[in-house]
Amino acid sequence: MSSLPTIQRMMVEQFDLKLEDLTPDALLEGLGLDSLSVIEFMFNLEDELKIKLTDERVELKTVQDVANIVDKLIAEQKGAA
Amino acid sequence: MARRIVITGLGVISPVGNNPADFFGRLMSGKSGIKRLQAPFVEKLAIRIGAPVENFNPNDHFTKMQLTSIERFSQFALVAAAQAVADAQLTLSAAEQTRAGVCMGSCMGGAGTMEDGYIEVLQREEPRVKPLSVLLSMNNAAASHISIKYGLQGPNVTYATACSSSAIAVGEAYRQIKHGYCDVMLAGGAEAMLTLGAMRAWEALRTLATEDPLDAGASCKPFAKDRSGLVLGEGAAVLVLEDAERAIQRGAKIYAELVGYDCSSDACHITKPDATGQSRTIVKALAEAGLQPQDIGYINAHGTATLAGDIQETLAIKNVFGAYASQVPVSSTKSMHGHLMGATGAVEFMAAVLALENNAIPPTINLHQPDPECDLDYVANQGRTGLQLNAVMSNSFAFGGSNAVLIAKRFHR
Repeated sequence: MSSLPTIQRMMVEQFDLKLEDLTPDALLEGLGLDSLSVIEFMFNLEDELKIKLTDERVELKTVQDVANIVDKLIAEQKGAA
Repeated sequence: MARRIVITGLGVISPVGNNPADFFGRLMSGKSGIKRLQAPFVEKLAIRIGAPVENFNPNDHFTKMQLTSIERFSQFALVAAAQAVADAQLTLSAAEQTRAGVCMGSCMGGAGTMEDGYIEVLQREEPRVKPLSVLLSMNNAAASHISIKYGLQGPNVTYATACSSSAIAVGEAYRQIKHGYCDVMLAGGAEAMLTLGAMRAWEALRTLATEDPLDAGASCKPFAKDRSGLVLGEGAAVLVLEDAERAIQRGAKIYAELVGYDCSSDACHITKPDATGQSRTIVKALAEAGLQPQDIGYINAHGTATLAGDIQETLAIKNVFGAYASQVPVSSTKSMHGHLMGATGAVEFMAAVLALENNAIPPTINLHQPDPECDLDYVANQGRTGLQLNAVMSNSFAFGGSNAVLIAKRFHR
């Protein structure tokens, strides 16, 4: 299952964003999320989804980009467990 | 001809009020902001009193997204700065922004964030800390946020000289304008260190006041025989300093002229206050102001209510003021707002400026048992109104021996 709905919900909770603005192709920068906000958000995602981010630097431009990397980590880390 | 520097805007978040009018009104009424702290951690402390900021809801001032990167001490600073900028009706063109800056003081910056990080790493042995910990806790965060918000492209500097940090920030901002580097400066200090670790450290130093058994609010007793030390507080103050010509041209309200500042060191002991060094600082500030001791109508004392500090400051005032020392009103508003550490110099200078503005002097409260070694007029327990003040002075004497004195005068063209 895609993590997209969870990510959208957390963005609403954490940043007071509107759900309707959080379309998969919405640009993070356009939503007001700078690189620091994204780092903070990913930190909280680790807690929520019980995943561990790797040191790999990936470019995150859209909401879907975040979901993609999270889905990949879930598959790798939950699969390995 | 030397440039003149005036104060055109004030902002404050403090244990005795979250705007300048409330702050000064509360000081004049002699009401203390010191109390038994409510945080759960105080049960672990022997001394459980402090001077917290109250009725301050960060969500009233910042979005959730902003709050991820703005620590409590920076929140105080930004709200105080917004008040000061609005009060001054300050607007800056793109060209003017390059000649405007910010000087702030802070001792411990984002102390709460640092402690949270230590708990995660050292106590819980978590492999990670909040990723923005550095940006939240760094000492210069408050000044930097102010610089960014108002586009201040001149100096953006933070002074960490313990108790004199923000007095020095105001004084150095004054010099930035006086010496021609800038035309407008925002200056002040911010502190938010009512945390378990910071309070425990201060407790260990044995300089904190013990709680008054009858009234926690009466625990800080500067210049009194039964004084037992300082009470930690939190908050921020920001002043707008401006080249007088600029202020006149734009028709700004002018609170006062900042005419004297000196910053110098005892160079003798890391904690022990030294009347000789303090006297030297006062003398140099008076000389820069071109004023005589008799011109000073009010001194806002450093007055921490430590045993040694109050005696040394009394001696320093006597050294410099001579026969007039017994006539000049001296008060320690720390008796009400506590010791705001990196913010305290700016908060107290603001109290002095508001005293000048209102021709009224706030009291030193809790002064019922005089100390024979502290024998000046400390405006005991009752503020004074209906005065004719022409110039006021604010003393700040820090651990480390770093002293600062600021003098403001009623502005005349």
